[in-house]
Amino acid sequence: MSTSRDDFGIAIRSALLQRGAKQKFSLFVLILLSLFIFVLDISELKPIKILRSLLNDGVYRISAVSSSPIKFSGTVKDFFITHIFVYKENRKLKTELEELKNKDFQTLYLQTENKRLQDIIQLEKKSAFTTVAAKVILDKNSPYLNSVIINRGSSSRIKLGMPVLSKGNLVGRVVEVNFLSARILLLNDLNSKIPVMIFPKGSQAILSGHGEDKPKLEYLPEKFELNDKNLVFTSGKDGIFFEGIPIGNVIFEDNKIKVKLFSDPNQISFVNVLLDKSSDLEAM
Amino acid sequence: MAISFKRLRKLIIQMGPLILLFYICISEFHTQFYYWKIFSFNLQFIIIYYWILRDPDILGHGFVFLSGLINDVILSLPLGTSALCYLFVSLVASYVRNATIRSSLFTDWFTFIVAILIGNFLYFFLTNKFGGVQVEYISIFYNSFFTLIFYPFFWVLFEFYRKFIIAGAK
Repeated sequence: MSTSRDDFGIAIRSALLQRGAKQKFSLFVLILLSLFIFVLDISELKPIKILRSLLNDGVYRISAVSSSPIKFSGTVKDFFITHIFVYKENRKLKTELEELKNKDFQTLYLQTENKRLQDIIQLEKKSAFTTVAAKVILDKNSPYLNSVIINRGSSSRIKLGMPVLSKGNLVGRVVEVNFLSARILLLNDLNSKIPVMIFPKGSQAILSGHGEDKPKLEYLPEKFELNDKNLVFTSGKDGIFFEGIPIGNVIFEDNKIKVKLFSDPNQISFVNVLLDKSSDLEAM
Repeated sequence: MAISFKRLRKLIIQMGPLILLFYICISEFHTQFYYWKIFSFNLQFIIIYYWILRDPDILGHGFVFLSGLINDVILSLPLGTSALCYLFVSLVASYVRNATIRSSLFTDWFTFIVAILIGNFLYFFLTNKFGGVQVEYISIFYNSFFTLIFYPFFWVLFEFYRKFIIAGAK
């Protein structure tokens, strides 16, 4: 018994301290060094933050370049698949076009009604914010993380927590700012929790990401009535987001109340980071 | 000139696993191979475990540490998280190397379970407790499962490559 324990000890000690012919560091030294770096990083000291920010900027750009062959192969594959099915798709589209023409009158009516409703709830804020446009340089849709890296950072006045829009709809918020880049945590990430308001009744809830395309609505009022016309906007209750930024519409799926986002988080190429409310609006 | 070209070719062949490790750390590999919301695997673990176990001089511990740091930057984790996970996978591989006389695919595969468990437990513990990042257990389970399933495939591939390196050295 004691012999096998001794053997285990010897093998572990040897694995930790032994260095190969071409190796400069033992595993023990490197584990200690990793722990030291880890402690320094989570302590969030200012010099370490600056150093990390510079490191992030450099590595993100190298990563964007090195991942381009994989992205390119994906694009080529999509291109060929699209062209293979183009004839079939054309016939299908012609049929759909006919159907859409028939629905045209109905849409016109709905547009008028939508405009009237927007007037009522004062949500015409298309140019109500000062924004900075940015390009997505890295797209992280992994099992652990749903975030994107954009090519603007603190040099473009971007700060932590700022809301991020795609085509005028909320897609996430800034969670990391470097000098020339920033990380956006998408609404469907597990760590994303945003206070929202559901129109037309004005019910309050929390939009909570679960790693899936459609985030869930939590903490809804007890007698919440679901219907097709429920739209979700930011409530601004957290004091970070401005109120009234469109997010999506409420749907019922898999026995859960979810939100179908207006902007698909997997299809984002360009975004707008909300810096502030525009001075025009404040003047009003 | 001919001699230096030969030496350079040999060096590049020998550095193949190291180049692959750095490339997958830096190029969003796991985000590109993530399908049906469950399929993802940790190729870094496979590379590190295999090469530390079979030929530790190909993949130095220092480079394993460095690749971990790069991975942390890419995934926005606290610096040192992936480095620690990778080094513990290396530790298991080194232990198995010291403790066993003759290894085969099945012994390597069996002991790889321990390496994955330790590596992913560390990842989960460090990110959840200190990184302020929520991670789903089920995602880690699927990732560990597929990493284990894919190990024999890469074992055969790397074994072939190792023989190629040995042949090139002669």
